[in-house]
Amino acid sequence: MDTHYIGEHLLPGRLGHLAVIIAFISSLLATISYVTAAVRQKRQLPDPDSWKHLGRIAFIIQVAAVFSIFGLLVWIISQHYFEYYYVWEHTSRDLAPKFLLASIWEGQEGSFLLWAIWHSVLGLVLIRFAKEWESPVMSVISFAQFCIASMLLGIYFWGYRVGSNPFILLRNAGVMPFEPGPDYLSMIRDGAGLNALLQNYWMVIHPPVLFLGFASTIVPFAYAVAGLWMKKNNEWVKPVLPWGVFSAMVLGTGIMLGGAWAYESLTFGGYWAWDPVENASLVPWLTLVAGIHTLLVYKHTGHSLRASFFFFIISFILVLYSTFLTRSGILGDSSVHAFTDLGMSGQLLVYLFAFLVPALILFALRYKEIPAPHTEEPLHTREFWMFIGSLLLFISAVFISFTTSIPVWNKIFHTNMAEPVDREFHYNRIQIFIAILIALGTAVVQYYKYRQNSWQFLRKKIAVPTVIAIAACILFGWLSDIHYNRYGLGFLIAIYLLFFVSIYAVVANLGYILIMLKGRLRKAGASVAHAGFALFLIGVVLSSAKKQVISIDRMGMMDVFDFSNKNENPRENVFLPFGVPVQMGDYEVTYVGDSTAPGDPKIYYAVQFADRQHPDKPLFTLYPDILKNTKGMQGYSANPHTEHFWNKDIFTYVNYASNIEPDQSDTARYYTHEMKTGDTVFLQNGYLVLKSLYRNPQNPNYHPEPQDIAVAAELDIFSGGKTYTASPIYYLRGHEQGAVDDTVQPLQLYLHFGGIDPAAQKIMLSVKQIPPKDHFIVLKAYVFPFINIVWLGVAVTILGFLISLVHRIRQQIEKAKIAQKTVYATKDVEV
Amino acid sequence: MCDKFYRNFADTNATEFSGFKHLSMKRFQIILLVLIAIAIGVIVSLVGDFSTYETFASAARHPDKEYRVIGVLDKDLPQMYDPQKDPNYFSFYVKDKAGNIRKVVYTGSRPTDIERSEQIVLTGHMQDSVFQCSQILMKCPSKYKNDQVAIGQMPGSNSHSGQ
Repeated sequence: MDTHYIGEHLLPGRLGHLAVIIAFISSLLATISYVTAAVRQKRQLPDPDSWKHLGRIAFIIQVAAVFSIFGLLVWIISQHYFEYYYVWEHTSRDLAPKFLLASIWEGQEGSFLLWAIWHSVLGLVLIRFAKEWESPVMSVISFAQFCIASMLLGIYFWGYRVGSNPFILLRNAGVMPFEPGPDYLSMIRDGAGLNALLQNYWMVIHPPVLFLGFASTIVPFAYAVAGLWMKKNNEWVKPVLPWGVFSAMVLGTGIMLGGAWAYESLTFGGYWAWDPVENASLVPWLTLVAGIHTLLVYKHTGHSLRASFFFFIISFILVLYSTFLTRSGILGDSSVHAFTDLGMSGQLLVYLFAFLVPALILFALRYKEIPAPHTEEPLHTREFWMFIGSLLLFISAVFISFTTSIPVWNKIFHTNMAEPVDREFHYNRIQIFIAILIALGTAVVQYYKYRQNSWQFLRKKIAVPTVIAIAACILFGWLSDIHYNRYGLGFLIAIYLLFFVSIYAVVANLGYILIMLKGRLRKAGASVAHAGFALFLIGVVLSSAKKQVISIDRMGMMDVFDFSNKNENPRENVFLPFGVPVQMGDYEVTYVGDSTAPGDPKIYYAVQFADRQHPDKPLFTLYPDILKNTKGMQGYSANPHTEHFWNKDIFTYVNYASNIEPDQSDTARYYTHEMKTGDTVFLQNGYLVLKSLYRNPQNPNYHPEPQDIAVAAELDIFSGGKTYTASPIYYLRGHEQGAVDDTVQPLQLYLHFGGIDPAAQKIMLSVKQIPPKDHFIVLKAYVFPFINIVWLGVAVTILGFLISLVHRIRQQIEKAKIAQKTVYATKDVEV
Repeated sequence: MCDKFYRNFADTNATEFSGFKHLSMKRFQIILLVLIAIAIGVIVSLVGDFSTYETFASAARHPDKEYRVIGVLDKDLPQMYDPQKDPNYFSFYVKDKAGNIRKVVYTGSRPTDIERSEQIVLTGHMQDSVFQCSQILMKCPSKYKNDQVAIGQMPGSNSHSGQ
C-alpha cells in the first residue's frame, strides 16, 4: 500500500511534470511542422502555410508550457515547499526574497529553463517579424527547444535517464538518510540554502543577461543554416545582421556583468581570471564579432560570405561546447566555479553533435555554391583589413579554446596534462599581442574605403588624429608610470605598446566620428563601440599593470622562506589586532569593530582607513564580511568590500578572523560580579559603574510578553577617556528566566545580566573582555588604479552596439517601406 | 548608399572575376599560410606551458620547477596556522596519490574550507622534503551526490526558556 505522506503539496509538482511533458511534445511537433513547411516552401509544394501555422500553434503552446514551469518553480520556492528537492537544495527560509530568482538558476535545471525561456521569447519575435524566413529559422529553434525540454524530463529510457526534472520530490531524490515515514516533512526544518557566493545582487542580473546572450546566438546560426538549406546563400545576410549585433551586444554585456560579480564578491582580486568557465563564454563572443565584420565586408563588397557562414555556425556550436565544458563536470580540477555533473554529459554531447554535424554537412555541400569572387581585395582597402581583423579574433578564440580544452584533450588522448601553473600569464602573453593588433586595426581601418585602393585617402584623413594620438601617448605614457617588471622587459614593452595603441584607437575613432561622420552619431555605432573597446583595453592595462597589494606583511617572517625564489608567493596578508593602526601603502588601517551577533551567519568587520600623514582623521571605513557557508556544516566565505574613488578602488577582504572559530580562539572567559547600584568593576583599561536598575526596558533584541518581569541594568563604562553605556536585561517569564546580553564593541566587552538577589539587593553581572591581541583579523587589501575606465569602456562599447543595432533595424524598416511602396505602385499600374 | 553596394555585389558571380583568379589567390594563400604557421608555433609554445600532475617524489627530482600535485589532506597530522605569529604561514600534511605524506607550507592564510575538502590540488615545488605551495585548489564534496538531509525539529515545536 502507498504511504500517505502528511503535509506535502503535490499539485504544483504534478502540474510541473505535465508542463515539462507538454513542452517536450509541443516543441517536437513544432519542429516537425516547421521543417515540413520549410521543405514545402523550398520545393514550392502546395500548402506550406498550413504547416507553418501548425508550427506556430505548437511553438506557442510550448512557450506557455515553459513559462508555466518557471511560474510553478517560483511558486514552490516562494512557499518553501521543502518536499521538493529543488527547493530544499537551493533555498532556505532565511533567504531574502530578492535572491529567490538567483536560487532558481543556481541549479542546472533552472539555468536550462532560463535558456528555454529566452529561446521562447526570441521565437515569438521571429514568428512576428521573420516573414519568409520563419519556417526554416523556427525549425532550428524549435529543435533546440526540444533538446532543452528533454533536459528537464527526468524520464528513464532503456535504463538511461534523460534530463533532470526540477519537480522531483525530496523523498525520491535519494538523499534521505532513512526511509521517510508519513510525517517525514515535520523533520525537514529548513533547506540547504543558496550558496553564499551567489547571494549577491549581481547574481540576480548576470545569469539572465548571459543566458540571453547564449540563447540569442542561435538566431544567426539558424539564419545561416536556413540560408544554406533554402539555397538562399546571400538573402539571409540582410535579416541576420541586426540579430548578430544584438547577440554580440547581449553576450558581451553578460560576460562583463559576470566580471563585475567576480570583482564585487569573489576574492581573487579582479574581474577576469582566464577561468575556463569565463573563457568558454568569451570564445563564442569573439567568433560572433568576427562574423559581424565579415558580414559587413560581404554586404559592401561581395567578399567573405563563406567566412560569415562559418563564423555564425561555430559561434552557436561554441556556445554548446561551452555548456558542455561547464556542465559536464569535465573541468573538475581546473575551475573554481565548475559545475558538477548531473549525469547529463552524454546527453549534452549528443546535442552538440546534433547541431554541429548537420550544419557542417550543409556547409560542406553548399560550399562551392556560396558566391566568392576570386579576386583578391587590394591591400589598401577596408574589406581586406576587416577580414584580417576577423581572422585575428578567430585565432584568439582558437588559442583560448586550446588551453581551456585541456581536460578534453586528456579524455581524447588519454594524457595527463594539467593547466599551466601561471595561468594568467599563459593567456596574457599571447592575447596581449592580438589585442595590440586589433586595437591598431580599430584605429586605422575605418579610414580606408571599401573596394578602393585608398592609401592616399587614409594618409590624408588620419594624419590629424595620429598627431594628436602621439601627443596623448607621450603625455599619458609619462603620467601612467607603469613599471610592471614581474615578467621582464619584453612583456613591459608589450604593455606599453598596448597602452599606446589603445590611446591611438580612442583618438582615431573619436576623430572618425567628428571628421568623417561629421558628428552624426546615428551612424557612428561602430566607431563608438571601437572607442569603447579601446577604452576598455586602457582600463585593463592600467588596473592590471598598476594593481598594487598594499597589505604586504613585512614583519613576522619565518626563516623557512627562501626569498631568492621569485616564484614564492609574496606575503600578502596583514595581521590586524583590534584597535591597533597598521600601515598599508599610503594608509593607516585600523580594525575598529565587528558585527558579531548570535545566530547571524554574516559578520561584518569594520576596517578604518586614514591618511598616513594625518592618522587622526579617518578617511573612510570598509566593511568586508565573512559569511558562514550555508551549504555545508563548516566553511566560511569571504566577501570583499571596496571603496570606489574616481581614479582608483581600494579592495579589501578578510581572510581569517579570531571570532570565526570561537571555540579555538576565544580564550577570554566571563567573570561574575555581585553588584549594588553605584558599585564599580575594573576592566583592562578602565572601569564600569552600575548606575541604576529600571523596569520594562526597551531593546530591539528583547521581545516582552505580558507575564514578564524584566529589569535592565544601566551601566556607564569609562575607558581611554571615553564614556560608553550598556543595558543588559534580565527577565522572569513564569518559572523561566532569561537574559538579553549587551556588548561594547570598541572595548570588546561582553555583558551578561545573570540574576537578582532581592534580599541583598544585588545583581549578578558577568563581564568578559577579550584582550586586543586575541582579537584580530587577517586582511588582504589591493589598490586598483583606474578600474573605472574598464567599466566605462564596457558601457561605451555596449552603447556602440546599441547605436548600431538601432541603425540596422531602422534601415530595414525603411527598406521594407520602400519595397511596399513599390508593390503598391505596381498594383496601381495594374489597376 | 550601402544598399547600392549590396545590390551590386550580392549577386556577384564567381565567373565575373575568374580572369584574375590565378593572380590574386596568391596573396591570400600566403597570408593564410603565414597565419597558420604562426598559429602552430604559438600552440606549440602553449603546450610548453602545460603542467603535469606529479607526485611529491617526482616533483622532488626537479626542485627548481613548479608542479601540480593532487592529494588529500591528512587530518591526523597537525596543521599550523597562527596568524599572531605569521599571517602568511600555513603548514599542513598531504598524502599524494602514491601514498606519500609530505609537509606542505603555504604562503598565505589558512583556507577555511580545507577540513571539508576531499581532494586538494597543490601548485608549487619541493624543497628539502617540504612542498612549498603557492596555490591551493580544493575540491569539496559534490553537492549533488553526498548530500545528507539535516534532520531537526520544526522551529518552535519544542522551544524552551529564553529567546
